[in-house]
Amino acid sequence: MIRKTFEWALSPMGRIAVLIAALSLFSLAAFGVYQSQQPPEQPIQFTHKLHVGLGVQCLYCHPGALRGPSPGLPTISKCWGCHQQIGKTQTSPLLKPMVDAMAKGEGFTWVPVAQVPDFVHFTHRPHVAAGLNCENCHGDMTQVTIAVNPQVMNMGWCLNCHKQKAAGDEEKLTKLTDCGTCHY
Amino acid sequence: MTVDLNLVGAKGAIAEAAEGKWGMSIDQDICTGCQACVAACAMENNISFVGEEDAGYGRSQHWIRIERFWEGAYPEVKATPFQPMLCQQCGHAPCEPVCPVFATPHSEAEQLNLQVYNRCVGTRYCANNCPYQVRSFNWRDYHTIPERGNMVNGTLVFPLHNQFNPDVTVRRRGVMEKCTFCIQRIHKAQDKAKSEGREVEDGEFTTACAQACPANAITFGRVDHPESLVSQLTHQKRGEKHLEELNTLPRVTYLKEG
Repeated sequence: MIRKTFEWALSPMGRIAVLIAALSLFSLAAFGVYQSQQPPEQPIQFTHKLHVGLGVQCLYCHPGALRGPSPGLPTISKCWGCHQQIGKTQTSPLLKPMVDAMAKGEGFTWVPVAQVPDFVHFTHRPHVAAGLNCENCHGDMTQVTIAVNPQVMNMGWCLNCHKQKAAGDEEKLTKLTDCGTCHY
Repeated sequence: MTVDLNLVGAKGAIAEAAEGKWGMSIDQDICTGCQACVAACAMENNISFVGEEDAGYGRSQHWIRIERFWEGAYPEVKATPFQPMLCQQCGHAPCEPVCPVFATPHSEAEQLNLQVYNRCVGTRYCANNCPYQVRSFNWRDYHTIPERGNMVNGTLVFPLHNQFNPDVTVRRRGVMEKCTFCIQRIHKAQDKAKSEGREVEDGEFTTACAQACPANAITFGRVDHPESLVSQLTHQKRGEKHLEELNTLPRVTYLKEG
């Protein structure tokens, strides 16, 4: 049986069939990888570039980063606080979803981009307190519209930085490379 | 400090050197066996309700349980004091060296036994090797059993997910779990203290079981600080450690028969 299949695969028709199968598998895998690398669909095409360019601080919309584990994503009221004073808000087609949602008294659901799995307990506060700037991990927001991760946020990436920061300080290194610091 | 734990006859030296960092004392004389600690622990640490059938197979999941024993022969039986049993966070833990994937390492920073859920492959070797029988295994994804959800507009919603503690991982099927000494609370207290530029104070925070105990039988804190409450209780005459002869260096001290 196996021998027969092998012989068939060596025949011209068999070769073509194997080639097609391999190609379709490869393209499926490539499509899967491509899909997983796309930024998620957001309720509004929010332009970080424009807002940061206008001088809005990161912490104005993501204030939790200074004090707690999660920086938070702004609610519609925060957007409206500035945008109600801007005449273009009512006319721009890009901002229509926000105006409509505000009129109906609804909010919108942002899709978080920089996320860690459930078994990782990341806290922003100590990282900000250690003197890291937002762009060290999240990339230059003056260049992007919807936030994208500049790198894969995995454990090797975390540990590389932890080891660099704790170089020479044995106690700090123990703390920063301890499994229980992030996983519990 | 590093100590050669395989040194024969060095038990006293080890015990002195490896006192640990976090410890607990449980006063069995005032424990009423009310199980408030068991309930509080389950709420704090997202512990699954395994259900009737799995409990029948002995798959109940509790990070702390109240043990009772009987002494003597019938009809002269006498109940021993209630004994809350939880992970003893051994300094020389039998569960640690047997893990083939190093999913249960010893935290050098906090002196605790850790369980790294994402690394665990579920060999259950650690649970077999634990002399205190305090590890429990997730035989199913208990939090997403379809019968426990409500169908709302064609999607399953699980009302109990709303009471999950976001600071604790929800364990999935096939991993081992155990008491962590509420490490999420330790980290929170340390983070708060550091942001205010001070050390963590004694009694500033406590574990869920100790917080819930109506009789204050459970005390938690730093055992390496001689002035802390738990340290003073631990060094009382009536304190004893369970299965100490196995040289596991447990961090939980039981007080009884004062």
